[in-house]
Parts: sequence; C-alpha cells; structure tokens
Amino acid sequence: MLEKELTTIVGRDHFTLTETDRLLNAHDASPLSEAKIRAGEALPLADLVVFPASAEQISEILKLANRLRLPVIPVGGGAGTCGGTLPVYGGMQLDLKRMDKVLWIDDESMTVRAEAGIVGIDLEETVNRRGYTTGHTPTSLRASNLGGFIATRSGGSMSSLYGKIEDLTLGLQVVIPDGSVIECKAVPRSSVGPDLRQVFIGSEGTLGVITEATLKLFPIPEERRFRSMSFKDVHSGLTAIRMIFRQGVFPSVVRLYDPEDTAMSMSSHFEVEEGSCMLLLAFDGRSDKVALDEKIAADICLKEGGKDYGEGPSKRWWEHRYDMYYPTKFTTSGYSIGDTIDIVATYDKLERVYHSMKKVMESHDAVVMSHFSHMYQHGGSIYMIFFTSQSDAESAWATYKKIWDDGVAACLREGGTMSHQHGVGTTRSTYTADELGSSFEVLKSIKSVLDPRGIMNPGKLGLGVRQ
Amino acid sequence: MERETLLSQTRLCAACPKMCRHVCPTFLAWRSDSPTPHGRALLVYQDLKGVRPLDDRSIEVLYQCLECSHCLTWCLPEVDVAAIVESTRTRLVSEGREPAGIRELSDKIRESHNPFGEPHSSRLDWKRPKTSDGRKIVYFAGCTSSYREKEIAESTVSVLSKVLGYSVTVSPEEWCCGSPLFRTGQLGSALEQAHHNTELLNSLEGEMVVTSCPGCYRSLTQDYQKHGLVVDKPVVHLSKLLSDSVDRLPQAESSPVITYHDPCHLGRHAGLYDEPRSVLKHVSKGQLVEMERNKDNAMCCGNGAGLRALFPEESRVIGRARIEQAEATGATQIVTACPFCKNMLASQARSKGFVVDLSEFVMSSVKSSGTKAKTD
Repeated sequence: MLEKELTTIVGRDHFTLTETDRLLNAHDASPLSEAKIRAGEALPLADLVVFPASAEQISEILKLANRLRLPVIPVGGGAGTCGGTLPVYGGMQLDLKRMDKVLWIDDESMTVRAEAGIVGIDLEETVNRRGYTTGHTPTSLRASNLGGFIATRSGGSMSSLYGKIEDLTLGLQVVIPDGSVIECKAVPRSSVGPDLRQVFIGSEGTLGVITEATLKLFPIPEERRFRSMSFKDVHSGLTAIRMIFRQGVFPSVVRLYDPEDTAMSMSSHFEVEEGSCMLLLAFDGRSDKVALDEKIAADICLKEGGKDYGEGPSKRWWEHRYDMYYPTKFTTSGYSIGDTIDIVATYDKLERVYHSMKKVMESHDAVVMSHFSHMYQHGGSIYMIFFTSQSDAESAWATYKKIWDDGVAACLREGGTMSHQHGVGTTRSTYTADELGSSFEVLKSIKSVLDPRGIMNPGKLGLGVRQ
Repeated sequence: MERETLLSQTRLCAACPKMCRHVCPTFLAWRSDSPTPHGRALLVYQDLKGVRPLDDRSIEVLYQCLECSHCLTWCLPEVDVAAIVESTRTRLVSEGREPAGIRELSDKIRESHNPFGEPHSSRLDWKRPKTSDGRKIVYFAGCTSSYREKEIAESTVSVLSKVLGYSVTVSPEEWCCGSPLFRTGQLGSALEQAHHNTELLNSLEGEMVVTSCPGCYRSLTQDYQKHGLVVDKPVVHLSKLLSDSVDRLPQAESSPVITYHDPCHLGRHAGLYDEPRSVLKHVSKGQLVEMERNKDNAMCCGNGAGLRALFPEESRVIGRARIEQAEATGATQIVTACPFCKNMLASQARSKGFVVDLSEFVMSSVKSSGTKAKTD
C-alpha cells in the first residue's frame, strides 16, 4: 500500500527501497558516521528514501506517514556533524535534493527566495552573479544545503558582520506534520505575536519540513581586507575583540586561536612565539570604511599588546578555509577520533567556560585545541576541538563519550550553551533537557501539539522518541 | 590499482562530507547521494573490506559514472574516483558481472570495430577532401567522426591539408581506439583493438599521428602505453598541432562571440587547456569568452564512459545543463574539440550550428576570410 501511494504522490522513480540506496543515504558527516564507515560497520538504515519535488508532495507524504505512524527524517545535504539525519528508528528519509531552485531574486529589497534542497554553494554562486552575497558561508558550504542551514540554526564564518541564519531568514515555508503548508511571511520585522519562524529555525526536522525560504542579501563588498595580530594569551586577545565591537566596528571575520590551535594551525606557515594566540580579522565593505575599521581595530589590538602580523595569517586562513573539512590520513586512521564542541557564552563567562572545559576534556587523554570564532558584541563561540587515539574501538568510543559528557557538563555549569551552529542531532540529544532546563517543557509541548504521533525525526533534539 | 591503494583512497573518500558532490554531473542528473563520488567510494570500500559485497544496484551505481574526474579538481586529498571506478569495473567485467548493455557495446566493437554497430566497410564513407602532396601525416579519425560527426573528419583533413599543407593518410583499416572499452572495464576487448591499431599505425608512413578525438588521443597516448603498446611516431591532438602553427591559421573576417567547452579527456586527463584556446583566440580575433566553469573546473558534456549508452535520459540532462552554461556567456556559438562532446551538446542545443568542433570552426574561418591554402 505504501509503495502504491508513494507512486501516486512522487512517481515510482522518486523513492527507493533498495538497500544500496538506503545505505548511501544513511550517513552524515558526524564522527560516528565516519568512524563506522571506516570500521566497516553498518549505520542505521531507513526503510525507504523518498525524493519529493514540491511542498504539495511533501504534504501528501506527511499525511500518509502520519496515518501509518512512520518516522520521517528530513534530509538536506547530509553534511551535518551531529547525526541529525541518521534514521535511528528507521522509517522514511525525506531527501529534499530535487527541490533545488532559486525562485526569484528581488533587487529592490535585496532578498532571494529558494527551495530548501539547493546546495549552499549553488545558492551563493547564483546570487554572486547578480552582485550579491548571502553572507552565509559555513565551512560546509559545498556540501550542506539551505534547508539544513535553517533546520540546524547554522552560522557562517562571517556571522560577526552578516549575522547567523536566524538573522538572515526573512520568510519561511514549512510543511507541518499534519500536511498543512504554512508560510511565515517575509518581512523585515513584525509585532504580530511571537516570531513563529524561530519555532522552525533550529527544529532539526522534529516539527516539520522546511521547503522554501526567503533570505536577506548583501552587495558583494567593494573590498575585503585582512589583518592578523598575535597576543600573549587568550585573555588579552579576547579583551581586544571586546573593545573592537565596543567601538562599533564589526569585522566580518574574528577568530582567536588559543596557544595549542595557534601552534597547530599557524606555526608551520608563520613564525609564531610558543604559547602565543593568533587573532585573525577581516573587514568587508566600502574601501574607505574598511580602511577606517581596520585602523581602529589595529590600534586597539596594539594597545592590548598585540603583535602585528599584517594580512598573512588571516588571508591564508581565508584562502584555505574549506580545507579542514576534508578528511586526512591522520583523522581517518585506526582508532583516532575527533570532534568539536562549539559552545557559546557571554564575555563574562567565556574564559571560565574555556578553561573548565579544556581541563576536563584533557583529563580524558585528549588533545584539545580551540579557537574563539563567531564573536559578537556580547560574547561569542569557542570551537573546543579534540582528538583522542586509543588502542581499540571500544576504548575510543568510551573515551569519546566521556569527553563529551564532561565537556558539556562543564560548559553548562559555567553558564555556556552547548552549541553555536552545529545543532543537537543525536550527539547532543541527551543533554538537551539539562541545557534548556525549565523551558524544555515548552519545547515538548510544542512538539506534542504539532506532531502528536511523534513521526518527525524521532530521537533528535531530545524529542520524539517513538513509544 | 593495488588493493591497498584502493582501500586507503576509498576510505578517505567515504569519510568525506562530500566536498566535490556539487560539481558531480551525475549528482546533478539524479539529485541523490547514490550516483556520487562518495557513494561509489563507499560501495567499493565496503566491498574491499568484506563488509558488504557489490550487489546489482551497486554495480549500476558504479556504471552511473562519467569518469570525468571533475571531482578530483575539488579533492584536497586527491582521491581519483574515476580511476577507482574504472579499476572496479575492470574487475567486474573479469567476473562477468558488468551490465548487459556494456556487454552489448563490447560485442558491437569486436564485431564491427565501432560502438555503433555500423559496417566496418563504411568507415570511410565521408567526403575525403583532396590532400596536398606535402609532408606525410596519419589522421586517426575515430569512430564518432567516421560515423556520426562526419563533418569533423572532413574538416580535420581539410585543415591538415589545405591550411597546414600535409599529405594526409586515413586508413580504412583503422579500428575503434578502444576508449569506450577501457573506460567501461572491458580490458580484453580494448586490447584487441589496441593491438590492431598499434600494428596498423606503425605500418603507415607519416611523421605523426593526429587525432581529432580526445578519447582516441588518451587511449593512444596513455592506455596503449600502460599496456606496453607503443605507437612508433608522435601522437598529437589536432588542437596541439594547430596551436603550434597558430600564425599560419586564417583569421575570420567576422567571428561570432564563441565559448569553448573543455572535453574531459583533453583537459583534465591530458592537460590540454591552453592549446585550443590559443587557436580560437587567434582565429576569432579575440572573440572567445569563458564559461564560468572552465578548464579543470569544466563540466562534462554527459557523454562519457558508457553513461549515454546505459542512461540516455540522465546523460541528456547533463548535456542540457552544459548548454545552458554556454548560453549564459552570451556566446552565439560553442566550440569544442571532441566529436563525442559535439554529438551530445548539439543534441541539446536550441539551434542547429550552435555547437561546432574546433576543426569546423577553423575551416569556416578559411571560407569566411577567403584565405587560400598555404602549403609548405
């Protein structure tokens, strides 16, 4: 019956029950997926994969899935790092890659409307041709897509200037689990009740399927300038960053590398003092404004004891910013496993969170290196990157879990939040209740109203485990 | 490819978050994670590891690859998925597990020495222009120019003879170069063709062998050599020969704005990017504009490695997309340097004459400029 109905909805060519296709669509870019692939282990498979072409088709599919109580896992680029699209309870993967069109570009309002399945780089190149940028360029740009950006509440590498996906998304079309196609109007602002877009931005497929979005656009900057400064420690680097924002300067890129990450990422290309911290800055905009912003920022850095490295390290990072997303023989060898906990805190807590997390993570035989990126006026994110190498798979996974458990606990204890942009998926699902505290009940209530049968992406975001 | 190399390369690719997928033509055609470099590598990796053997659908996925190597341009660890696919196809053929359509292709080539199943006796049924009596050269026409894009064979002989003054030999005993067979893993059948052609070419008089087909060029210069078969005279692609003599080429009185499509076998597989461009810039008097995706980032036409034979509809989707990329440049003509590419792209173009081969473009300029033949 399922096959017959799906054939009516999407056509026989656009769904598959073949094991090979289910296998090839099963994984994302999470360390769990990658480690299982390396070890030749099986990942959880969906029972079928469906490739819809429109919101109308998705509406019919969700009605059908609701009737059959079939789990539905929306899939975008499959490039997530948290297992958000893993079909842990089987069911149907709803793959949006056929919905890949740019519907229109509005030059007057500087907005673009696109379908959710468009790959990030395809969207960016399309608007670039018209002289715009979306301002949203995460490292996964070549692999992830628009729906995934929104569903995971992602942030690009230039979020300090252009904003995060929740700032960039003006309008949204979502198919909710009962099959209704809802629109959140594309307006720059509204005071008509709570902003319902934000219910779905970051919902990770647990509340519905994002099918289209209207995004802000920005003119491609006349100039992008780079500047790099090194500091004697994390504290002085963070102080400089705070002061730059306080002066009303918004660099497009702000990245402060701690001593370990500076040694790892910079020392083979530039002469850096041991124990120093490198700050990378970029400035976008009109040439005269960029020159002024750069001067103000540089003066602040020098006043805080920074050592000027010119454009070199920052420009090099920019030119190689996608390289770290590729696997290497080191990261795919034996029983080594690495991951990133991308936490956020306000400035008053940021250093405490950093030191506390680093201490507990290192206590589990992990190499920890970090950079402070995605910085804002009131605080910012830390990429707590760790690697551990163990003698066998079991020890590697046990260590990995301890690092995560203790790392997140330290983050929450010191007042941080456990993710800036990667989302929750399966990796952070069990920590969600602790993170959200009393407000978790509100999220659960929303879920129970929108998805009473719990079909949408069960097991993610701490929600919707099938009974 | 050695097993250990295959294992280490496919492990890297299977662990990647698909950083090349967005340029994979078959991803564009199917919009699924199955026919992608990552998908192919994962299947081969699991098979080699003994986790999951290749089933019928896996084999189909491995034959849903153009071997265009566009993914390699975007791959930092330089995983050569086309080579992995070809090596796996060769193994599958040796085990008798290739798709039936591929076996039919092999049968046709073995019987009639061309992939179209046309009679071998009609291989030279195209208008061979009179050649000059200058220095001798051998033209290896290839199957597509001999049977489907005869204008390319005719223009190539014309340009060699009338413009460069060569005495051109084309042998009726030429067989398929074996490219479709090498690419689809049918090594035994490919080498039958290769042995014959090597003997033939070595028996002919001429200072070099010229091809107008990059598939033939790659086979003669790379595949044959890999298997110890050596053609005893230099083998060159027409674009290289013309670029070496660019000052002797005519210039069009009034050239349309043109764009150039890089054939995968000529560009990514042989490194000839600048040669055809230097010819086109000269002949068109600078009317060449580039597509956004060019040189090592050029998109495949969709007509390679058996894809069109097995999956014609998806092959056409890819060809149509490439035509749209050409149209976006504002050019009124797209020039390529491959009969296979021309055949596919012309089938998807909105107007006749929008797609021409390099040889045809040069000869049309001879006509428009009224240049008389120059001979040594």
